[in-house]
Amino acid sequence: MKYRLAILFAVAMGALLVAGPVSAHHSSAAYDLDHPATLRGTVTSFEWSNPHVFIHVDVKDDKGNVENWRVEGNSPNMLTRAGWSKDMIKAGDQLEVTGAPAKNGNKILRLNSLKLANGQKFDGQGFK
Amino acid sequence: MRTHFTGVVIAMLSLCCCTAGLAQNAKSSKSPTTLAADHPDFSGVWFIEKYTRTILPKEDPPFQPWSQDVYKAHVLANTTADPDSGPDPTARCIPPGVPRIMLHPFPFEIVNARDRVVFIFEYQSLVRQIFTDGRGHPKDFDATYMGNSTGKYEGDTLVVDTVGMNDKTWLDAAGLPHSDSMHVLERYRRIDRNTLEATFTIEDPKAYTKTWTAQKLFKLHPDWQIKEYVCAENNEIH
Repeated sequence: MKYRLAILFAVAMGALLVAGPVSAHHSSAAYDLDHPATLRGTVTSFEWSNPHVFIHVDVKDDKGNVENWRVEGNSPNMLTRAGWSKDMIKAGDQLEVTGAPAKNGNKILRLNSLKLANGQKFDGQGFK
Repeated sequence: MRTHFTGVVIAMLSLCCCTAGLAQNAKSSKSPTTLAADHPDFSGVWFIEKYTRTILPKEDPPFQPWSQDVYKAHVLANTTADPDSGPDPTARCIPPGVPRIMLHPFPFEIVNARDRVVFIFEYQSLVRQIFTDGRGHPKDFDATYMGNSTGKYEGDTLVVDTVGMNDKTWLDAAGLPHSDSMHVLERYRRIDRNTLEATFTIEDPKAYTKTWTAQKLFKLHPDWQIKEYVCAENNEIH
């Protein structure tokens, strides 16, 4: 598991280098942009709303405990320009998200990129 | 769903009676002048070329002691905050003011009218009216978040003069403060068909010992249109 996490971390670092700095409505300073994380889990709800799109995701930790994360993308307008639609995610979907976790340890992730179960990938902010 | 936000805003502006600020300016307005054909035309939807949290790339501006202390406090609070309770005024849907409104990673549209240039921002659905008919700033007005802007053309450049801003906003996402005596000069010119250059000059002796400048680039997005953006819809900041 540690080896797998290390790979995920390396992939996430690469994704950050490609994606560059991120920001939207919340101050991005509250997020650990230098240490992005990749999470895989099951969607519990999807809020297509301003100022941020929220994806709530159940993620199992190493011990099998389930934690619910709030994953924040940019506004619906900007994400629409990046190819998103309001119907593309629904409760029960499996997905993979990469982003910057909150520095204070809350289960909040600022989204850099998203991969759906069908392999489709989307930018999480809609700008570079 | 496409909105007709742009059209609605222009229609509202044409009525010239929707805000106290407009009514105030109408008193000092000269007769509308015809838009001269030789004026540069910046109309279209623009988006910042590269978003950064700071208005200055690396260096600090020439702080007064108090403004440096406030800035340090903002930076510290930003980096240690809960994402849902940070110090940034815009996190509570407060307008970002000038020049920060130009720095957000959201598009804006420039529209020409006979007596003004209108900037329609997707971010918070804000509007700037830059009066180009020769009027001056009102002599007596209450300070606002976005201030009062007049403009004139110098060759290929639109020069925008803004005063009358309150001190409740930051100059950038990093937290540069300013006073309510700030005077902002902006110079907009096209350096190629798809690139708009903005040079910001900040004159605020209460907060900075010298006048200083910063520069940003914007790219034209002909296939985009400004959409409705309601900051307070589902804001989790408290």
